[in-house]
Amino acid sequence: MISLHWLILSPLIIGTTAKLMPIKAAKKIMVLFQTALLAAVTMIFVEVRQNGPLLENIGSWPDTIGITLRADLLATAMVFLSCFLFLAMVIFVHNKNYADHLFFFLFLGLESLIIGIFLSNDVFNIFVLIEAATLIITILIMYKQASVSVYDAMMYFLINVVAMSFFLMGLGMLYKKIGVLDFYALEAALSQVNNPASLILPYSFMITAISLKAALMPLFSWLPKAHGTPSAPSVVSVILSGLYVKTGIYVFLRLQTTFAPLIDTSELFVILGFITAVVGFMLALAQTDIKLLLAYSTVSQIGVIMIGISLNNPAAYWGGLYHLMNHAIFKSTLFLTAGMIISEYKTRKISEIHGVYSHMPAVGVATILSILGIIGAPLFNGSISKFLIATGASGSWIESGLILINLGTIIVFMKYGQLLFGHSDKKEAANSDILEKAVVLTLSMLCFLGGIFGSDLIAILFNISLTINPLSYGEKMLLFVGSILLGLLIYRSLFKKRNPLAFIRSFELGFNEICLSITLFFAFMVVYLKITL
Amino acid sequence: MIALNGETISIVLFFVGVYGLIARRNIIKSIMSISIMQVAIILYFVSTNVAPGSVPPIGDVNQMLLAADPLPQALMITDIVIGIGVTAAGLTLFIHLYHRFGSTNWQKVMKKRNRHD
Repeated sequence: MISLHWLILSPLIIGTTAKLMPIKAAKKIMVLFQTALLAAVTMIFVEVRQNGPLLENIGSWPDTIGITLRADLLATAMVFLSCFLFLAMVIFVHNKNYADHLFFFLFLGLESLIIGIFLSNDVFNIFVLIEAATLIITILIMYKQASVSVYDAMMYFLINVVAMSFFLMGLGMLYKKIGVLDFYALEAALSQVNNPASLILPYSFMITAISLKAALMPLFSWLPKAHGTPSAPSVVSVILSGLYVKTGIYVFLRLQTTFAPLIDTSELFVILGFITAVVGFMLALAQTDIKLLLAYSTVSQIGVIMIGISLNNPAAYWGGLYHLMNHAIFKSTLFLTAGMIISEYKTRKISEIHGVYSHMPAVGVATILSILGIIGAPLFNGSISKFLIATGASGSWIESGLILINLGTIIVFMKYGQLLFGHSDKKEAANSDILEKAVVLTLSMLCFLGGIFGSDLIAILFNISLTINPLSYGEKMLLFVGSILLGLLIYRSLFKKRNPLAFIRSFELGFNEICLSITLFFAFMVVYLKITL
Repeated sequence: MIALNGETISIVLFFVGVYGLIARRNIIKSIMSISIMQVAIILYFVSTNVAPGSVPPIGDVNQMLLAADPLPQALMITDIVIGIGVTAAGLTLFIHLYHRFGSTNWQKVMKKRNRHD
């Protein structure tokens, strides 16, 4: 049994010592190491599932004094997902030239920080890890040093630093009131507080920062530029969009559980999630750049996850978490295939890419499978998680809202899917790397397997048994077919020739406006809590 | 009457920094505003849980004396290091940005960036 801190330290150590070896050997060692790490995480996962959460007090301090690492089922499942994705990415970059020592150092450093965020139980420690991750991601965003990406990286960096300053200020106020920094000690201490109004300021400060990290409605403007920047290698986009945004949602979840006895904002976040999802797909439709379209679609899916975890219903909650995992899988596939398509066609414009399916069959198949996953086609993983969220929402307005969101997603991916068909101008066959094809095909097969074995996977990952009622599932699937037809109609009549939403692209928030929206969100949270509490 | 102590001053300072972020178009001033916010946070932390007349929690504190809460002060050592790193990284990025876009104004830089798309 390896101790938890080695999960966090070992990627950093391997990433640093790899510098001593020639790059070819280093790449092989990376693959071996990631496999070993995945095996270790699996062992820990089995252990946690049988014997309950693992606790490790770093420095052998008594509980709640020092930093604690805590591996419960959710955290371990997230760590498992991270290690799996990083293994896939390390295999994917095996034959790439840009993957040099510095890249691996940063990449594995990011891995250890992400694992740390999932396992850490100390709020200040999470702040430090997120701040360090911001710095590493900034360098990774401008890794290929294109001119435009300096601006993208600068925006990403400063906005996230501002948000984390809000977080730290809130943390200071919380510490002054409560006197502990440990999540579980906080939970215990907060249940003793009898005046929730005294916690409005710290809660608002912290939730503003975490909403920005999770890219909720007014605060997502930094995300598409960072995730879709031309300069970042596609594996970086995958980790940012598939995994790193999820750390925001994870911390959000932890914060909400901690404050739940005193401050209940779940209704507000259902509404915010809905708005985020709708605005996300509208903006995605307006894009012409394939990476930006995928990045905005991430915003939309975050909204869906947010609805799921804020609904206060077990089916919707686990559905939301399963959707989080699913989104990591299909968005990773889509970003990887988009990267392969861009390097083959030398353009990022959707309208200029045709015939991917005939020109690059493996990439085409992977794209189709993951599109089916994201739009929630029957038997694919997206359908299971969206079905669970809809079950949890049944009877309220949000159920019809979810149908609208799915319709939007369908139209977005009809637009995206246009690049598969048609006739490619290229004569000679594409020479994609065999490892790249293997990775994208494996990931896209997981979209299918995640649908077939949906409830079993949920039972394994979260130790919760949810039965999927075949009758209502069938009903949802009829609804899905209806949405497809309606989506086709809307796409054909409105978006085929021109783009009525193109004007949205001209609205872009600059740095000052984003800071203003952070402040307004904070002020709104304070006023909202003053009124409702 | 609000007492004039470390906490109130730090909250005022924090929002001075936020004002700078919202109202100034100059990139260097944005980075300076972030530093101001950081200083405000540090001031807030070190002035929490300090009773009047307490001594710094360093070395062998006489058991008879009241020592200040050592944890926020320890946390702030970390935060000062992070703050320096953030400012340095921000300024380094700014130098690169200035070389490529030739302006210190957020609006002008944004316009030039969008022309590349």
